[in-house]
Amino acid sequence: MALLEIEGLVVRFRTHEGTIHAVNGVSFQVDEGETLGLVGESGCGKSVTSLALMRLLPSPAGHVEGGRVRLDGTELLDLTEAEMRDLRGRELAMIFQDPMTSLNPVLTIAEQMVETIRAHTQMTAEQATARAVELLGMVGIPRPETRLKAFPHEFSGGMRQRVMIAMALALHPRLLIADEPTTALDVTIQAQVLELLRALTADSGTAVILITHDLGVVAGMTRRINVMYAGYIVETAPTAELFAHPAHPYTVGLLHSIPRLDAVEGEPLIPIEGTPPDQRRAPVGCPFAPRCAWRLAACWSTNPPLEPLVTGMPVVLTGDRATHRIACLNPPTPEEAAAGLPLREGFVAAPAPGSVVDELAIAEVPA
Amino acid sequence: MAAPSIAVTPPVSQRASRGLWRDAGRRLLRNGPALIGLTCILVFVLGAILAPVLSSYDPSLGQLADARQTPSLTHLMGTDLLGRDEFARVLYGARLSLQLGTISVVFGLAFGIVIGAAAGGLGGKVDGVLMRIVDVLLAVPGILLAIGIVAWLGRGQIQIMLAVGVSYTPIFARLLRGSLLALREADFVLAGRSIGASRLRILVRHMLPNALTPLIVQATLALATAIIDVAGLGFLGLGPGDPRVAEWGEMLTDSARFLQYAPYLIFFPAAAIVISAIGFNLVGDGLREALDPRLRR
Amino acid sequence: MPRYIVRRILGAIPILFGLSIALFLFLHLLPGDPATAILGQHATPQLIAQVRANLGLDEPLYLQYLGYLGRLLHGDLGASFVDSRTVVSEFATKFPATIELTVGALIFAIGLGIPLGRLAGRHPNGWLDGVLTVVSLFGISVPIFVLGYAMVYLFGVELHWLPAVGQADPRLGVPTVTHFAIIDAALTGRPVAVVDALAHLILPSIALGTIPFAIITRITRAAVIDVANEDYVRTARAKGLTEQRVDRRHIMRNAWLPVTTIIGLEVGGLLAGAVITETVFAWNGVGSWVVSAVENHDYIVVQSLVLIFAVIFLSVNLIVDIGYAYLNPRIRYA
Repeated sequence: MALLEIEGLVVRFRTHEGTIHAVNGVSFQVDEGETLGLVGESGCGKSVTSLALMRLLPSPAGHVEGGRVRLDGTELLDLTEAEMRDLRGRELAMIFQDPMTSLNPVLTIAEQMVETIRAHTQMTAEQATARAVELLGMVGIPRPETRLKAFPHEFSGGMRQRVMIAMALALHPRLLIADEPTTALDVTIQAQVLELLRALTADSGTAVILITHDLGVVAGMTRRINVMYAGYIVETAPTAELFAHPAHPYTVGLLHSIPRLDAVEGEPLIPIEGTPPDQRRAPVGCPFAPRCAWRLAACWSTNPPLEPLVTGMPVVLTGDRATHRIACLNPPTPEEAAAGLPLREGFVAAPAPGSVVDELAIAEVPA
Repeated sequence: MAAPSIAVTPPVSQRASRGLWRDAGRRLLRNGPALIGLTCILVFVLGAILAPVLSSYDPSLGQLADARQTPSLTHLMGTDLLGRDEFARVLYGARLSLQLGTISVVFGLAFGIVIGAAAGGLGGKVDGVLMRIVDVLLAVPGILLAIGIVAWLGRGQIQIMLAVGVSYTPIFARLLRGSLLALREADFVLAGRSIGASRLRILVRHMLPNALTPLIVQATLALATAIIDVAGLGFLGLGPGDPRVAEWGEMLTDSARFLQYAPYLIFFPAAAIVISAIGFNLVGDGLREALDPRLRR
Repeated sequence: MPRYIVRRILGAIPILFGLSIALFLFLHLLPGDPATAILGQHATPQLIAQVRANLGLDEPLYLQYLGYLGRLLHGDLGASFVDSRTVVSEFATKFPATIELTVGALIFAIGLGIPLGRLAGRHPNGWLDGVLTVVSLFGISVPIFVLGYAMVYLFGVELHWLPAVGQADPRLGVPTVTHFAIIDAALTGRPVAVVDALAHLILPSIALGTIPFAIITRITRAAVIDVANEDYVRTARAKGLTEQRVDRRHIMRNAWLPVTTIIGLEVGGLLAGAVITETVFAWNGVGSWVVSAVENHDYIVVQSLVLIFAVIFLSVNLIVDIGYAYLNPRIRYA
């Protein structure tokens, strides 16, 4: 049994302006000690998924409207708020994107760390403070005893994120969710913080869900990657396999959108056409269809389920040997994936049903 | 025969500032409480303008024999202690309050804009000195400043308008100065300068429309307070001092002794003050929401 | 932190100077001759000459200002020309009443305003929020004198629940010692007297405190809503802290900041509003004194009282600013 099992999670936001279909049936598992990457563009549902499993969705708008979330066999969605609170911080921890706004500006670091520790253990204030000093040292903050008494605004961005990591790992959680932990940081600091995260979680055996839109971040950090789009998982594979043999058109598009040092000079980047989907309407058909260069007519009406690339073998959900699965009716061939474009003779992406091509405004000019 | 050629339609431009106002106007009209406020203001303004039409009585003449009559069909709001028709006095009082209130706010805006624009626009020493002066004005709280100025200048309509206007000057000055200072560093201003727009052009077409909106909101809210402050001065016996002119605050003071016997003499002018103030407060709040550019669709 | 305090105090000095100059000019820019203006009806050639000599009105202006400044620094605030009592001694007898009134209004405004604003902020758009919005609207639209009379009519005249005039019932014969009605009543050891003094405080406190109450409620509500949406509140919940802890240490500790600023400003409003409240309820405090001084053209009293009010207001603001810096560590080192 995996540490975390999510099945068919559906999350919607009910607002005055309508319903937002943020997550539309996401299933995946995370093993003890495994690092899973959750990748996708803004609005694809990756953050919402993690907030949902922590039961921290913004209320009253956010609702889990379907699915199951099991931590070590316990159904999280059935727990009372008090039971959930007991798990948060202790078994389940989360760090957020913006370290500047994620720490309370009027409390010292000491107060914020000690309150976490004492909320879940019987330690005295002195013991908790000592533990906090230990933790700050562990994340590489110099002179932790003095820095404890400082306020968040006295730290730099990278230091603040280290503090957040220290607070999150204070009670040895089984699962850490890192939601875009380095997006708000400078590039050089990013590498330091990521390395710290990797080292600490490897030492303590903590499983990690690393959420990001940056493929470079997950490349060195994760064992497996889930690619999400419009509230669905569209591809999942072990990290090396995903980069070597991307199979879903979206993943192919993502990899080809990144300028590479080893690219042939003069070769154009191949952007993904179109704009992100409007999630105020429940999706019909494959959500990526409007932007897909490989789409068939069937893609407009059928939403393909997540299925193994290579059939005939037992499906493995976690670990280095996890099965490479994609949700696609017409996946690119390996050569097409390498090129970034369909290469089949005469293949044209199927137009949307009932649409008219209308790209230029034509004006009559007297001869 | 004409050969079709492809032309590029020019980008839609120049609609920025006017669009904001039209947008705001539409949003204001959809705001329930703001509409109630507009109605209150309308009642107040129409009452003031149409006073001679709505009442045939002279608000400053009355016969003692008619004194202190309760409201009836001949005297809709009764008569006061000198036999004057209360309804007429409330209507003409609206006129006076409207005049005094509006012009006070205009004075406050005028002084405030000059000081604020100079401080925010010129910066440096000018800013420092002007803000110190504003701080001195702010050191004397609220109506006390107006009272002090009336003590200095004496009683009278212009004196009241100046006094109340000066007591609002600090807030307008600070608002405008703050907006201008923030806008000077704003990205779109720097962008304008980078394409060579002159400083005056930037000031007028880009900075002022943004800086003026909080002033407009504040001015509307200030109208509510101005009506109250003018009445307050009248109540304290520092009003225009012209016995021929009906002023709501003075009407309240005069009738205070008769609270037990003729409460309607206090009720009607009081209600008039409250309704006008509510009107301007609601519209001011509505304007603030309507003009918030972050809410634009 | 101590440096911040010193800087704030130093910053107030130029304002006090500017104020003294403005008030000095107030006396000297009156229409007509200052001496005649001050004396008013009492003006006789000998008195005019005497006043001119006392105030040094024949000297150059800057010397007169220095003289004025000197007198101020010695605590000489002049004397009333109506009854010849010094401003300082008269002030000592009248200020306690104003303090009682202001404190009563503050207790009402803060004691009711903050808890209600907090509740409304935690349940936005609920029924309490709706009721409070309407009450706040009326609170800022109804002038003190209107509210005062309305309450006097309702509770005093019609219902006879609460007394409407004055600080205490003179028939109880409480001797005036400190000029604080409540303390004087307590000194007699008679509970009836204390209850009476407190009862006289209720209506005026509510009348004066309603506008600050309305504003404090609105600001607290807005602050709670804003803070509740901040990222660090989400972090606090993610750490598994109880809702009470989140509310107290994370939401309220931050929501206090804008509220504190407003309270400082509202005290100014209270001082100004006391003028009207004391007139409505016939309290013998500094506020009604200002009004009578203006009516009597007792200019020296007006000049000195405005100065005193301003100094009090500036001091209160200073204290509030220091309190704010204590609550908000981010500005302590600015």
